[in-house]
Amino acid sequence: MIEESNFVRRHWFHDLLSQPFYGRNAASIRQRILFLLIGNCVLLGFIYARSIQTEGVSFLSEVALIPVALAPVVIAGLGLTGIIYAGGIDLSISTIIVVAGTVFGILFHNQASPAVCFAGCFLTAVALSSFNGLLVRLLRISPIIVTLAGLQFYRGLALILADWSIPNFGGSLTVQADAYQTPAQQYAWQILAVTVVVSLIWEAYGKTHRKFLALGCSREACRIAGLHPDRITQTSYTVGGLFLGIAALLFVTNQQVIEPARMAQGFELKVIAAVVLGGTNIFGGEGSMLGTVLGALFLYLIEPAMIYAGVSEYYRTAIPGFMIVAVISIDCALHRRQKLLDELR
Amino acid sequence: MPPPLLRLSDISKSFGGVEALKPFSLELEAGTVLGLVGENGAGKSTLIKLLSGLHRPDGGQIALAGRPCSFGSPKEALDAGIATIQQELEYASHLTVAENLLLGETWPRTFFGGVNWRSLYAEAEQRLRDFGIELPVRSLMSRLTAAEKQEVAIAGALARRARLLILDEPTASLSEPEVARLLTHLKRLRDQGVTLIYVSHRLDEIFEITDRIAVLRDGELVATHETKQVSAGQIVHDMVGRPLEQVYPRTRSGQTGEVLLQLDGLTRAGMFEDVSLSVRAGEIVGLAGLVGAGRSELARAVYGLYATDRGTVRICGRQWPLSGPDRALRRGLVYIPEERKRQGLVLDHSLGSSLSIGLRDSLSRLGVIRPRREQVKVQEMISRYDIRATGPEQLIGTLSGGNQQKALLARWLERDPQVIILDEPTRGVDVGAKAEIHAVIDRLAAAGKAVLFISSDLPEVLGMSDRVLVMNRGTIETELRGERMTEHNVMLAASGLDIE
Repeated sequence: MIEESNFVRRHWFHDLLSQPFYGRNAASIRQRILFLLIGNCVLLGFIYARSIQTEGVSFLSEVALIPVALAPVVIAGLGLTGIIYAGGIDLSISTIIVVAGTVFGILFHNQASPAVCFAGCFLTAVALSSFNGLLVRLLRISPIIVTLAGLQFYRGLALILADWSIPNFGGSLTVQADAYQTPAQQYAWQILAVTVVVSLIWEAYGKTHRKFLALGCSREACRIAGLHPDRITQTSYTVGGLFLGIAALLFVTNQQVIEPARMAQGFELKVIAAVVLGGTNIFGGEGSMLGTVLGALFLYLIEPAMIYAGVSEYYRTAIPGFMIVAVISIDCALHRRQKLLDELR
Repeated sequence: MPPPLLRLSDISKSFGGVEALKPFSLELEAGTVLGLVGENGAGKSTLIKLLSGLHRPDGGQIALAGRPCSFGSPKEALDAGIATIQQELEYASHLTVAENLLLGETWPRTFFGGVNWRSLYAEAEQRLRDFGIELPVRSLMSRLTAAEKQEVAIAGALARRARLLILDEPTASLSEPEVARLLTHLKRLRDQGVTLIYVSHRLDEIFEITDRIAVLRDGELVATHETKQVSAGQIVHDMVGRPLEQVYPRTRSGQTGEVLLQLDGLTRAGMFEDVSLSVRAGEIVGLAGLVGAGRSELARAVYGLYATDRGTVRICGRQWPLSGPDRALRRGLVYIPEERKRQGLVLDHSLGSSLSIGLRDSLSRLGVIRPRREQVKVQEMISRYDIRATGPEQLIGTLSGGNQQKALLARWLERDPQVIILDEPTRGVDVGAKAEIHAVIDRLAAAGKAVLFISSDLPEVLGMSDRVLVMNRGTIETELRGERMTEHNVMLAASGLDIE
């Protein structure tokens, strides 16, 4: 039972735009994307309605806050989506950012130029993420275990590095110079927009992500087809590292004080939540980058919406967690009928 | 004279000291079809794995078209021209058909360096057309039927210029018309000069398609026959090493008792409609039909796994509200499912715990299992159902398919049910184990149980049953008894045609 016939002549834009960006996904993911799109519009609409009623607040200033806060989650999410596509996971992204931030702070402390600091931060994240891939490959241990260990280890590594390189390291590094803060303070939305657009086009027209998905679906099929599963795993972590490098840069340059022991706590869970909410299967093999972007936006928008709705602070902590489950279960309930039919076939 | 396409000289393979394949030689001419038969564990899969590059032989040589070759990976075997279509196909279910076809190859690119999806789809369509089929290449692989997925796999192998195509139990999950379709494709390939090795338990297919038949038993090549000059009896004899005198046992008296299972107008929209049937004590009723006719769905509904829209079920004369498997079990009805790996067994549990898992209540006191009683019971079950294993500690996943199925039967039958629904109990099981399972089923009926027997294997369902119900598109098309119980009639009814 196949609903669409292939023998109908298609309009040119179908192959160029609609199919690669949207149509190639499974129906459940397409539905999730639409669902999140509507959800985001509703939240934005609510925020708009409340902000014009409230004095001293403008909707535009509210929206202008979005890129700085959202960029690290979205960009790290795009990288993690690729890793999860390929059947892996990285729980240590938050502490990789911590190490990258510490390297940034150390370089700053040694009076390196801003460009050197940025490069150091970016490359540290790429290197550590690739190192995760290497460990998963060589040790043949489940990625969830390797990166869970990494989550602990890298934070310690950051503290050790700081302690080594900086005499009288007091637990925090202060970076107060505008030139060192340009990525987050001045170019956040440009970087975010370019990264999102580039990665969506790459997903639509590149082969890399299709290989990740193939690996996530069936390692054996990849092996039989003559692909090298280990190499694909490695690529997914390295590519994830590139995204994580940009995310780290935006995260770190948004801070005045770098505090390795406390920085970015729980960040990895925010990112994973965005990926899962975006419809990506946590066990790999199917998903969507567009979904991740929308998922991250949705999780972000809940916060201001709750504030406008006058929800008390304690509830504001609990509600996003509740929303994740609510969104996914409503979505599943909507396509359960379809799924049942699929299973019976 | 050109060298044979494939020549195996003295190849052998052992695993941890156990000889899986004893040294043997075999030649295969281009454009011919070799049937490879043998019971489970006879060494067929080992041979296939050697040829497809998953294992390396310990000794001997594989020569393809006269050139010796050695494969370190499936990719190397594929490049040399040997493609294997596994029984359990491996594919990326969430990628499109086109991507699966071209996985592992270079994809067409556009001027900007991106994948040129249009030409990718066109290429995939072309490959399928070369093979003689048309499928929507843009849909996800998971949306295809099992037969279509297999066709995609074969088309993909041919596009990579496979000269030798190995098919491992290709028809295990296909319905009769799909099997016919596959065999037509294969005959055409043979005529085009592709060499085939066809591995199957189903001898009728082997006889239909092959030129020669090689029989493996216990890792040894016991015989090769020209297909035209050998009888099925001879092949079975070679496979089991003993003549199979009584293929379908019948120790039951034929006396039937009261109706133990009765369905009246049972309906679930989209699955089955207005199904009425009854099974008496001491009776085996066959339920035949094509895959997708609604037989398993009906059985699962009776077991309480699906809700029904209309109709009633009576078990042992009492109305049964269809409220779930646990209550069905208490009423005395068991359903032994089709896909034993997914639905019936925990593969990495030991045989012992798998056998006793359903009996814990009777083996425990105050919630604590009494290990000695459990042990005794398990040993008794292993010997009674003739389960071949190294002991109760052996992991169930490492048993052969036939023994897994016997273990599953043993587990359920120990609860002494009155009504037993068996769904394809002998699928993927070798000839010897099949006969033992048949004997167990016959003994059940002889002991006064009511058995509803679902099978797609026509000779089996006809041979085992006292009468056969044929389902087609969710309804019971007809009931066949006595002389009308022929393969011909079942096929006609299953396809919705009138019986002559």
